[in-house]
Amino acid sequence: MMIEDIFSSRGRVRILRILFEIEELNISEIARRAGLNYTTTNQHLQMLEKAGLIRHKSFGRIRIYRFNEENAKVRVIKDLMAVWEQGSKQT
Amino acid sequence: MSYATVFKDETKLDINYTPSKLQHRNFQLKLLNQYFRHAIETPGKMTQRVIITGKVGTGKTVLTQLFGREITREAQRRNINLRYIHLNCRQNKGSFFLTLQQIVTQFHPTFPKRGYSAEELLQALIQILDTQNVHLIVTLDELESLIQNEGSEPLYKLSRIEETRPKTPRRLSLICILRELDWLNKLDASTRSTLQSNIIQLDAYTKTQLKDILNDRITLAFKPGTTPVETIEFAAELGTEEGGNARYAIELIWRAGKYADTEGDKEVSPEHVRRAVETVYAGIRRDEIAALDLHKKLFLLGISRRFQLTKGAYLSMGEAEEAYTIVCEEFDKKPRGHTQLWKYAKELSNLGIIKAEPSTSGQRGKTTLIGLPHITATNLETELNKILQHAKRG
Ligand SMILES: Nc1ncnc2c1ncn2[C@@H]1O[C@H](COP(=O)(O)OP(=O)(O)OP(=O)(O)O)[C@@H](O)[C@H]1O
Ligand SMILES: [Mg+2]
Repeated sequence: MMIEDIFSSRGRVRILRILFEIEELNISEIARRAGLNYTTTNQHLQMLEKAGLIRHKSFGRIRIYRFNEENAKVRVIKDLMAVWEQGSKQT
Repeated sequence: MSYATVFKDETKLDINYTPSKLQHRNFQLKLLNQYFRHAIETPGKMTQRVIITGKVGTGKTVLTQLFGREITREAQRRNINLRYIHLNCRQNKGSFFLTLQQIVTQFHPTFPKRGYSAEELLQALIQILDTQNVHLIVTLDELESLIQNEGSEPLYKLSRIEETRPKTPRRLSLICILRELDWLNKLDASTRSTLQSNIIQLDAYTKTQLKDILNDRITLAFKPGTTPVETIEFAAELGTEEGGNARYAIELIWRAGKYADTEGDKEVSPEHVRRAVETVYAGIRRDEIAALDLHKKLFLLGISRRFQLTKGAYLSMGEAEEAYTIVCEEFDKKPRGHTQLWKYAKELSNLGIIKAEPSTSGQRGKTTLIGLPHITATNLETELNKILQHAKRG
């Protein structure tokens, strides 16, 4: 998957940011915080999971998503977000 | 600007403070450790259920908390993944769902709050314990509320969960805290029998024991030389008369210290303790009243006011209802119905705040009578007014 595919969507970036801040969360709550509907959120999450950036745990009907820390790209994405947050606080 | 105080560190008198050692509970602490020895020596082989019982202020909560602290420390030393979680069922409104949720969020703080059942939550918990290889000891403190609210089912499920998965390591142990063992009779026979085998009874403290407890606490909380022996004696004696209640004795000495401070005295005298007696209520806990639903508070307020009017020993349910309706008007709230109030009366009675019992004499028909055995009506009203102040404004 190309980098453009991931970052071309506001919704997906939003979701990544939410997971960066909250660490782990279920779909409905991600959807609520992202301001997206359930189906769209689900699609984004599936794509991000396919790209190996996030993964989920299931508890019965409940699915909880978090970053896939084993992926080297994830470390860089989280660094980017940390630096970005820092930057926006300063300016 | 500086002003004198008899206190060195008041936080040591707070109800949330857990002392690092207990007086006169070594035997019970050892017993508890023995019951859970396998959790340290052969984790996963078996689980345990223990009941701790004793009257108000006999150290049930503090004993288990200290045990939890010690056993997790010992487990850490041995590289065993053991967690101790202490839950108060009353604070969780007697709800099994909220109780389980409080456990699960210890492991997954953002676990969703809605959209599934207690059953699913219990399954999730077991799954979490398995994947994280955790052994868990859960203390269900003030278990009365959970039994009252949900009957046998929660304990049935908690004690059976291991049996539904025979080949996996045992992970979930329970400590149940009850003031009265009678509550067990409300459980179905099989649940009762799985719980009943290990019971630790905490007897009321004697005067000498209360003195030792007070002395320890005073050393931590008061400046040296501020609390003469006779003051401690007196507070210990009052604590003994109130059923060997350590919380009461500690609260008395705290409040007495406050009076000494406001009067600018360098020492806490028995007279300060006497004054404290008027404002500290042994059988009732301030936080219990504060945690009640608004309408239960309003109901209590009505009761306390009516008692001041009638001066009798009991109110009929009808009188209590009428008083409550007037209070509701004052607070601009729609009064709850008869059945609801009758339920409130029973619940408040179970908490020990009022006494609700069916009238015996045929004279008044078959009504419920309400008594106020543990607190004066004026003190109850004062307390409620303090708590309800903002409810009125808001
Ligand atoms: N043996 C003891 N040594 C030192 N402090 C004690 C001892 N027993 C009780 N206390 C203190 O007395 C107070 C009441 O104890 P605790 O809260 O454990 O009582 P309880 O049995 O749980 O009462 P309740 O039934 O009202 O919940 C607490 O502040 C506790 O720290
Ligand atoms: Mg307690």
